[in-house]
Parts: sequence; structure tokens; C-alpha cells
Amino acid sequence: MTTAQILSRARQEKRKVLTEIEAKSILGEAGITCTPTVLATSREKAVSVSEEFGYPVVLKVSSVDISHKSDAGGVKVGLKNRAEVEAAYDAIMTSCRAYAPGADIEGVSVQPMARPGTEVIMGMTRDKSFGPVVMFGLGGVFVEVLKDVAFRIVPIDGNDAAEMVDGIQGKKLLEGYRGKETADKARLQEMLVQLSSFVDATPGIEEIDMNPVFAYSDGAMVVDARIILSEE
Amino acid sequence: MMELFFKPRSVAIVGASGSPGKLGYVIVNNIKGSDFAGAVYPVNPKADEILGYKVYKSIAEIPGAVDLVITALPTPKMTVATLEECAQKGVKAVIIESAGFAEMGGEGKVYQQQIVDIAKKNNIRVMGPNCSGIVSRDIVTSIYPMTKKVPRGNVVLIGQSGLLAAGMASDIVENESLNISKVCSIGNKCDVNENDLLEYFGEQADVDVISMYLETISDGRNLTRITKKIAAKKPVIFLSGGRTEAGAKAAMSHTGSIASNAKIVEAAVKQTGMIMADDFTELKDFAKVFSTQPLPKGNRVAVITLAGSVGVNVSDLCASHGLELPKLTAETTEKLKDMFDTPVSNPVDLYFSVTKIGFTKTLETTFPDAFRDANIDAAVLILAGFEYTQEAVQKKIIQKIVQDVGKPVVVCMIVGYNKYKHVIMDEMGKELPVFPSLISGVKALSKLCQYGMRRQKLSA
Repeated sequence: MTTAQILSRARQEKRKVLTEIEAKSILGEAGITCTPTVLATSREKAVSVSEEFGYPVVLKVSSVDISHKSDAGGVKVGLKNRAEVEAAYDAIMTSCRAYAPGADIEGVSVQPMARPGTEVIMGMTRDKSFGPVVMFGLGGVFVEVLKDVAFRIVPIDGNDAAEMVDGIQGKKLLEGYRGKETADKARLQEMLVQLSSFVDATPGIEEIDMNPVFAYSDGAMVVDARIILSEE
Repeated sequence: MMELFFKPRSVAIVGASGSPGKLGYVIVNNIKGSDFAGAVYPVNPKADEILGYKVYKSIAEIPGAVDLVITALPTPKMTVATLEECAQKGVKAVIIESAGFAEMGGEGKVYQQQIVDIAKKNNIRVMGPNCSGIVSRDIVTSIYPMTKKVPRGNVVLIGQSGLLAAGMASDIVENESLNISKVCSIGNKCDVNENDLLEYFGEQADVDVISMYLETISDGRNLTRITKKIAAKKPVIFLSGGRTEAGAKAAMSHTGSIASNAKIVEAAVKQTGMIMADDFTELKDFAKVFSTQPLPKGNRVAVITLAGSVGVNVSDLCASHGLELPKLTAETTEKLKDMFDTPVSNPVDLYFSVTKIGFTKTLETTFPDAFRDANIDAAVLILAGFEYTQEAVQKKIIQKIVQDVGKPVVVCMIVGYNKYKHVIMDEMGKELPVFPSLISGVKALSKLCQYGMRRQKLSA
């Protein structure tokens, strides 16, 4: 489905939160690389999709009613074969039904396990006065505890994006600290500009989280994404 | 459109008064004291003449066209009625100085909305309410008595709070501490907001520096767009009040929960190249530095001192404010070898030179030699309040050197305030940026260097 179709369907269904698959499809259309993610509505489909991707894979519950997937026991990572996928599928269904009994669960999303990279976060939110703003930071503890992030007002240009990436306290961690893989800053900057252009051109989006994004020495990949729509 | 506010050909003051001390009197008196050469029409149903001007009973009664109406009326209701009269008359610019509108909530908000509606319908631009309008050479609409003429300077000050802006304007003009051109207070910003003024001042060739204080940001997206454009040509110094760390809303994303208003304002400052001031003194002080000093090409600073301990402190301050203290070139070191008991270093300690050739001569020769050094972009000059400092100040030696060398300097005064504050701070402060503390001078210079480097980068 195209971005326009996804947005109009969510509106019709009076949903504010898009599913991970919808979010990634929209970001993909905006030029932002995401891990390929496919919906499986049955255990058998989960297995066939996994075999197509190749192991290991990740299964996540796909439900518009469950936004905290991990809390619901709805995320299983590093699944290495058919048996593990089948078991994970059953475990996710059981756990999520118990966690949210009335939830409408459409199945699981299946995606190949991304090669670990430097974890970063990118996002967007809206300010009453400044309108949409974009954010960049290091992922995990850096964003959650230290709030080491940089914001800019949309629209941003390449210069702004470069200042964002170089503007965080922990930028050394992007530069191959202690022998770690360096992060492709140019691609991260480009993704920020793509994110900015997308939200600038697309009304009705309230918040976006791309978290985590794995940054590699050659490119970067959005591993999980969330899009929240504005009140109409 | 903004020209009607700043260069009106005729002005009416509704609520003008003949009793000294009343706001309606101060405004008329301030206009009288300015260079305003157009027609002045005080409006008051109960007076015949105020300060030599013929008084009119109503706006309708005024014979000619009126470019600008200023209102200082006791009730919001009367103000709304006046705006209706302005619409009838065809007035296109109104400054509403009275309070009692949106800032009071409740009924005041309703009255303000009525004003907005009338203004929109009739294409009237409204400044205020709850403001003091404009302080300039050509017209003063403020409620704060002015004692001297406003200079035709190169700095404009945009403020929100009427009394504060008017008070600052009065101090600045009285003390000649800043080469101001206009001070403008926009109060509740029911129509004319900071973006209108920024666009106007951004285009004015005689405005070199814009200094702005806001309690609320009317339209941050446009503010970002406009200031980015202006800051590429002229410095915009910005003090933002009411920044909070609390998130603006209950967010569903990480991004939304971290995005506090303070962080977004800070982002806008970085993105646009504005210069962030942290208090009203800095708003004025930074404007002083930016309006009097050339832009440095980098952040390499020479610290000029007469006491080692002071130099150490300033070095530390420079380091924490992103300024570097490089070594002087071998050439300079060689040239100055007789003026120092040990090879010249940075901070440049002039003590030996002063004992050898005296203070004035040292300032005239040793200081400029160090200042001219190819490794140096700017200087912090520390002056102590001593008897011998007076001569140098009176001869304007420092001003001459700064002009001659073409690099920026900030002067920091240390000790001797009781006796020499008026000489160093007040007199020299009319021309040069002189600070009462080391940290304030270093911080101001760091802002200048930061901005200078940004401009270098932009033009590269």
C-alpha cells in the first residue's frame, strides 16, 4: 500500500497509531531504509516468510491495540529455525491474548534479524509554535537516561543535519570508538533530511520514532518504527 | 506597511492628557521631544490644547489623514470603540498601549479578539495591546519619559514587555551605553509580532544588530525561517523567556517526550545562527560588542593583563567558553623581547613593559604588537582602575588601536571601581564594550567569535 492509502485507511478505522509494518512502508516510500517486514497471520505463514528471508528472524506481535509489544511478551528475537519460529508464534499469541484480552491481533510481523550496528534514534514531533521538529540521538541509555539528542526545526537542509549528527555529546561513539564499526554519518544525515522532507510534505503526522536505527560503516537501517497520527 | 509605524506622516494620540504624569501626557511630550515633523493630533473630548497642540474631540474630527493612531485609554471597551473609529477614518496603523486585554484572561481576551476582528476586516495593523510601542529618533510613543534624543544608531531592540523595553530604552539613551536606533515593544502581539519586525529590520540598511526579548514565540516556524536568513547577514541576539524543560504534551513517542520547549528553542537558535542571551544585561552587552566590534575570523584570543593571577583566571574562562589562547608567532616574540623579562606568552603580561616604558606607552606599542600577531583573532584587555589608566582612557588610545588593528576587543575592568568606574566603564563604555567582570567580557567575546566563525563558514 502507498503512504496515502495507509493514512486514509487508518483514518477510516479511527486509528492514531500505525502498525510497525505500516510505519516502515511509509518510511520506505520516503527513501528511508528499513528492515523488510512482512505480516504473517498464521503460524505456517510465519514459517514460510522466515524461510524466504533466511534465519535468524524476529517475530513481533502485530496489533493496533498493543503498543508496548515487549511488555506484552510480543517480541521474540534471534529465531534460528522453523521449530523456534513455530514456538515463538504460539508463545506470542498466548502471552498477548493474556496481556490484552480484548485486543485485535492480526498476527505477527516477521523480519530478518538485522546485523547489529551503532544504535541511534531518529524521530519527529510537533511543537505548538515551531511546528514539526526532527530529532537525532544515540539509542538506548543515551536517549533514555542522558537525553543526549539534537533537535532541529523542519525543514532542515544538509548542513542542519550535519550539525545535528555532530551536535550530540556522544558523537565519538559514531566515529569508531575503541575499534567499533564507524557510523555512516553521511547516510544518517541524508535520512534526517528525508525524514524532514517527508513530514514537511505530509500533514496529519503527530509523532515518529525510528528506534532503534542501526548505523553501519556503509549505510543505516531502521529496525523498529512508530508513527502516530494527529487528531483530526 | 511597517513604515506607517516607524515613519508616519501624521499621528493621533487618543487618550492624550494635559496633566503631567499621566500616560497620555508623557506620550505627547515624548513625541514633541522627538524629531517627528508631521502633524500631531491629540484626541480628548475634554481638552482644547495640550503641549501647544490643538486637541480634537474625536478621530473623526481630525481634518487630514492619520497614518498612525496611539491609544492610551482607561478601559478596553473604549479602545475597541476607538478602533472602530479608526476603521471609519481609514487609519491603517494603531498602537494600543493600554493593558487589560488577553493578558488578564476572561473579558480581556474577548476585547482583544474584537480588536483583532475589526483590524482584520479593515486591514489595520495593530501593535500591542499592553505595549509601549516605539522609541526612536523620529518618533517616541513610549510611556516612559525620555530625557535625551534617541541616537540614529545601528542597533534595534525588540521587546515584549512594554515597561521593560521603555525603561531599557530610557537608560540606554540617558547613559549613551548603546548606539541604539529603535526600541520596539509589542506586548500581547495581537497582530504585529516579532516576525513582522524582524522582516522589516532585516531589510533596513542602517540596522546592523537586532536584539530581541520574547516571552512567547508567535510563530516559531516562520521565526526560524526569517532569522536564519537575517542572521546570515546581521547578528540577531535573542533572549527567550518562559523556556521550560517540561514536555509540551503527553507524548506517545520517545521523541515527543524529550522535546521540551527549551530544547526546541535551543535548536532554533543553533539552526538559525542567532546569539542566545541569558538575561537583559546580556541582551544589551552582546548588542554592544556586535555593534562596535568587527567580526573575528576565528576564536584565537590574546589576553592582555597586568597581573598574572588575573591572566590565569581569564585563561580558564576562555577555555570553558570555547576560546583558544595560542602562542604568539616567533616574529612577535622576537620583536617584543625587550618588553618582557621572560619570552612573551599568552596571557600577555604587560607588567614588565609598564615598569620599563610606562602604561600609556605600553598600550601604544607593546599591546598592538601582540594584538596584530597573525595567530590572534581577538583580544581581552583587562584594565585596572588606577590613576595611570586615566590618561590612556582620556587619550582614547585603546579605541585608536582597535580601529587601527581591525580586530575585536573586549575590555574587562578589575578593581578600582569606586574611583574609576565612571572613567573606564561609563566614558570608555560609550565607544567600546567594557565589562564589570571577567566572565561577562569573555562570554560576550565568545559569542562574537562563534558568530564570526559561522559567517566565515557560510561565506566559504
